[in-house]
Amino acid sequence: MEKIQLRKETIEALLELRKAKRVSLEGNILKIIDPGDHKEFAAYIKQAIADDKSKQKRRLDITKKIQNQNKQLLNAQDENERITEELRVALEETDNAKCEALNELDVLQKRTQFQLVQTIVKVALGLVIGVGVLTTILYVVSMFTNKDTQLIGTAWSNMFGILLTNAFSIIGTIMGVKYASNSKSDSES
Amino acid sequence: MIESIMLVDDEDLFHLVFEDACSLLDITLSLEAVSSSDEAAKMFKNWFDNGPIEERPECVFVDLNIIGSSFDGIELVRRINFEYGDNVVIGIISSSNEVSEQSKAVQAGAQFWIVKSDEIEPRLESFLEDYESYKNKTAPFKVYK
Repeated sequence: MEKIQLRKETIEALLELRKAKRVSLEGNILKIIDPGDHKEFAAYIKQAIADDKSKQKRRLDITKKIQNQNKQLLNAQDENERITEELRVALEETDNAKCEALNELDVLQKRTQFQLVQTIVKVALGLVIGVGVLTTILYVVSMFTNKDTQLIGTAWSNMFGILLTNAFSIIGTIMGVKYASNSKSDSES
Repeated sequence: MIESIMLVDDEDLFHLVFEDACSLLDITLSLEAVSSSDEAAKMFKNWFDNGPIEERPECVFVDLNIIGSSFDGIELVRRINFEYGDNVVIGIISSSNEVSEQSKAVQAGAQFWIVKSDEIEPRLESFLEDYESYKNKTAPFKVYK
């Protein structure tokens, strides 16, 4: 690149300015000024370039430091986002596990209730059938042994009516319990 | 010394680092830094279509991944070389050192690959030493790391 030469007055003004105010030329312009034979101005240019390089070096170091800090911040931000995502997934998994546990508990409770009802029904039906069979046997025995069946016949008839009523009552209760359980689980889900 | 340089990089802080490093090493007097490959492509297209061709930079340093641009650095290198008239020394400056990416860059016409790091100055000095051979298109593709 072709260098430029300054007029003598300009050179003197620049030298004076540096002496009076300590202000010098800066930047790339220094690299294209030809001081010619002017020794003082050549020293001026040399010193100004050295000062400029020193400032640039300092600025470069600071900029690099900021750049590194910036990179570290960005890395930390990425790490934070990764941890937040991990926590979110863990929380979701915990929620799912909680829901599963609650469902299992509900199923277990229902099973226990069902088993209890089943036992009650079995016992009740056993009693109903037992009493019915016993009364019928007594009635049949009375008939075949020519005993008076007036009383046992009425008792058998009444007993059978009561037992049938009770049997239907038990079946009704079971159906009611089942319906209530289904309604509860539907409203929960 | 290189007449004029263009840097295409999305990282503003690297613009300052590169500018100061170039100035310290007396690499160039004229440096233009742009932040997107779209902007750089637009400038090169304009120089190619309307001129003046002298305003084009002599050497272009392109980042590999330019955030906020619609295409990456390798595509920009390809466009400058094959669509906008070539005739510049062009290469990639990136923190990546992936061989596969370097192969793609060579195919796109990149002449060099400078790996970005805290110590960019020695790499730029080596690049400057080889610069004339890049200008004459006699140097093979080289990675500065």
